[in-house]
Amino acid sequence: MQRSKFLLYSFLFISVFSLSTCNDDDMGPEEPVELITTLLYTLTPDGGGTPVVLSFRDTDGDGGNAPVVTTEPLAAGTTYTASVSLLNESETPAEDISEEVSEEAEEHQFFFSATGADLTVSYADQDADGNPIGLVSEVVTGTAGSGSLTITLRHQPDKNADGVSNGLIANAGGETDIEVTFSIEIE
Amino acid sequence: MIRITLALLFFIPLSGLAQKCELVLSGRVLDQGTDIALPYASVYLEELGKGVTADSAGVFQIPNLCVGDYHLEVGHIGCEPEHQFLSLTSDTSIIIFMHHHTELLDEVVVHGSREDNTSQASSTIGKASITSESNKNLSDLLESISGVSVLRNGSGISKPVVHGLYGNRVAILNNGIVQSGQQWGNDHAPEIDPFVADHLSVVKGASALAYGGNALGSVVLVEPGSIDEDPHLSGRVNYIFESNGLGHTLNTQLEKNGRFAAWRLTGTLKLRGDTRTPDYFLTNTGKREGNIALQMQKKWSKKWQSDFYYSFFNTEIGVLRGSHISNLTDLELAFTRDEPYFTEDNFSYSINAPRQFVQHHLLKLESKYFVSEDQVIGLKYGGQLNDRKEYDIRRGGRTNIPSLSINQYAHFLEGYYQRVLENNWRIKSGLQFQLTDNANEAGTGILPLLPRYESYTPSTYFIMQQETGAWFWEWGARYDFRFLEVRQFLDADPPVVEKVQKEYHNYAFSFGLKYRLNPELKFSLNTGYMLRAPEVNELFSSGLHQGVSGIEEGQENLQQERSFKVVGTVDWFVQEKLFIQALGYYQLVDDFIYLQPQDEFRLTIRGAFPVFIYEQTNARLYGSDWQVTYTPVEQLKWLTKFAMVRGKDLENNLGLLYTPADNLFSSLRYTFDQKGKWQNSYLSINGRYVWRQSRISEEQDFLLPPDDYFLLGASIGTTVQLSEGRLEFGLNVENALNTSYRDYLNRLRYFADEPGINISLRLNYTFKS
Repeated sequence: MQRSKFLLYSFLFISVFSLSTCNDDDMGPEEPVELITTLLYTLTPDGGGTPVVLSFRDTDGDGGNAPVVTTEPLAAGTTYTASVSLLNESETPAEDISEEVSEEAEEHQFFFSATGADLTVSYADQDADGNPIGLVSEVVTGTAGSGSLTITLRHQPDKNADGVSNGLIANAGGETDIEVTFSIEIE
Repeated sequence: MIRITLALLFFIPLSGLAQKCELVLSGRVLDQGTDIALPYASVYLEELGKGVTADSAGVFQIPNLCVGDYHLEVGHIGCEPEHQFLSLTSDTSIIIFMHHHTELLDEVVVHGSREDNTSQASSTIGKASITSESNKNLSDLLESISGVSVLRNGSGISKPVVHGLYGNRVAILNNGIVQSGQQWGNDHAPEIDPFVADHLSVVKGASALAYGGNALGSVVLVEPGSIDEDPHLSGRVNYIFESNGLGHTLNTQLEKNGRFAAWRLTGTLKLRGDTRTPDYFLTNTGKREGNIALQMQKKWSKKWQSDFYYSFFNTEIGVLRGSHISNLTDLELAFTRDEPYFTEDNFSYSINAPRQFVQHHLLKLESKYFVSEDQVIGLKYGGQLNDRKEYDIRRGGRTNIPSLSINQYAHFLEGYYQRVLENNWRIKSGLQFQLTDNANEAGTGILPLLPRYESYTPSTYFIMQQETGAWFWEWGARYDFRFLEVRQFLDADPPVVEKVQKEYHNYAFSFGLKYRLNPELKFSLNTGYMLRAPEVNELFSSGLHQGVSGIEEGQENLQQERSFKVVGTVDWFVQEKLFIQALGYYQLVDDFIYLQPQDEFRLTIRGAFPVFIYEQTNARLYGSDWQVTYTPVEQLKWLTKFAMVRGKDLENNLGLLYTPADNLFSSLRYTFDQKGKWQNSYLSINGRYVWRQSRISEEQDFLLPPDDYFLLGASIGTTVQLSEGRLEFGLNVENALNTSYRDYLNRLRYFADEPGINISLRLNYTFKS
């Protein structure tokens, strides 16, 4: 009697275990929710004029087709108000990721580093703690020449570390969400 | 250091007629590791409150016993006392095996029965060691075996490396069932609580014929052991406090040979906070664990017995916050830091992202039927569910959504048949079937690294053995058919699911010999040829592997690895004082699968990433494991272990990555003579030296392997005999000099030092009602 009960329970247990694998659903591909496909850096001359747009586009995400990078020349001796726009263009309509960054402003900071070209970037926005974010910045060009500009977005940097609020990336820490480099031509 | 409390007894009834209180219990006390007699052992009958002392040959005799049930306790200096339940009905003679030289035990000796005989070399860790270090995880316990190293991702996540191989290439058998989880990941630890085990063994074999699991020779066995015949409740409660990480470990085990069935219940709780290097806290390296296991044995009749086993493993582990990086720039920045980013000044028990949450269920049922004295058939089922969730630091409040979430179901069924033939021939054979279903849970918002897959593996094996005098020899073969169905997503609009099917025929052959020249000198030789089919990660990985900041890509057309391995051992016992065990091995793996860094860097919006592709080469591994024990007097034991392994990629003439560095361990232990209720009081000191891994070149890794290091440790302990049980105290110090060091096999070597000094205090109460 007990024996058959034991066998019955064992059998039931196995059945339950086995049935749980029969969910033969062909789950659709995962939608990458945090994907950033596009970075637009739009520089508007302070005295007015046509804005200059630097763009980095990788609409199919990591891998697949190579990203497309476009740049336009900057004018020498000019002050620009620049803004960073982040988009997920794999969705229609494109999702604005900059909004997410601005909602979590304390946890994000952009860093700008120019090499070769005569160009300085300074922050023109602040988070609730009075630290820079970098969604809006001011760019001042000097003499004509060429070089490059690297834009980095750090998630959870230490904004209070030495020099970080002045744009020194070395002490910032955190994870890199964005790191793109544009070649710069100043005419 | 190593003590084992496993008892094996042979009952030989001498006379059929039981007379009243005139029975004689006689026997001999032997060391299980060496078969050498243990002189002057004490044999105590708890019911009578009296005992005798064995003579110089370990022989004892207790006359004038009545028919009845007795609890026997046998003690000897430097051994864990042995307890045995006896139901005396006639004059009885027994052999009691104690564990005086536990470091010499192997899997065959532990089981002690002829059907477990094999020519494969193995080493074993017993219950006493498992209990005294139950705060450690499975892999860390195995590290005390010569030839075993540990691959880590911080101190909470570790997996064993045996003879230079790990991950997919080493099978772990939990209670006879191949552990089924995400073994491919270097940061995925085996989901097993070692406290459930009566002993842990590492089979350093050339081929594992009777065990499934796509391994390349070596196998780790986690064996719960059988439950004693004692009809009284017995058990143990074990508590360990660790100073580094303020860790608490609580284990309990209860067992009884009940009326319906024999049962054993085991539970473990662990809590640990941030560990600390000599200079700073390792922020977010805490750990929580809760496990439970129930084991039952039922003898339906003399010929038929069944076993039931269920275990549930449940853990949450923090990963060092400063080791979470995004791209190569972040990694290179981390190298320049004295202490990792995000290091907090204060200790904390909290676990935040990055973290892992893992649950594992195992259900095992086995039934054995002895058709006749020399024939047995059996049926075994093992079902497993592995649920792994990993959490990363994410934007937009998504940190509490897992970025990796995989469910794996595995079912294993085996029918086996063993038979003893004439002339000491023995055959073992079996049919097995394994089904694995690995599915990504929806909703992570991240493209999974591996596609969903199912694998079906029917297998069969056959082993033939013969024992004649001083010789033992065996040969065997195994065949697996592996069918894999993968659901790959093609990046189209709308996305397409494509089913890819793969078939592999794996086969293995082995041949082994053992020869006993005299009781002091034994040799063994084991050779094997076997195939390993590429695993799904090697075939279909596609995407960013966060931990190494690299993009990893599988290749669908990988071939099977073909391995040839030979293992030879010499066991030499000199004058019952010096014991030398030496093992050498040589392994060639053709089409060895490895990650080859590519010349290209892939440009993404997060910067440029190095690309690694699974490729094949021919590899060679060879090495040796040594163990020397010297006991000039009974109280003093000196133990030294040494292991070296060389791994080479023969086509590219480079060292194999993650090949362990040479290492040397030595310990000296003094055991005091028994004083009244105080038994087994000891003092021990040990040192461990690990050389620098110098065979990896600069181009192969982001950083060169770290420097050599030396660690000093010490422990003291004692046992008090109480009326109903035993109470043990122990104090253990690891990294006593608080040395700052990094280990090549720990991924965290890029970011942080290893933990500093750790003092652990241990209390263990063992009772019998």
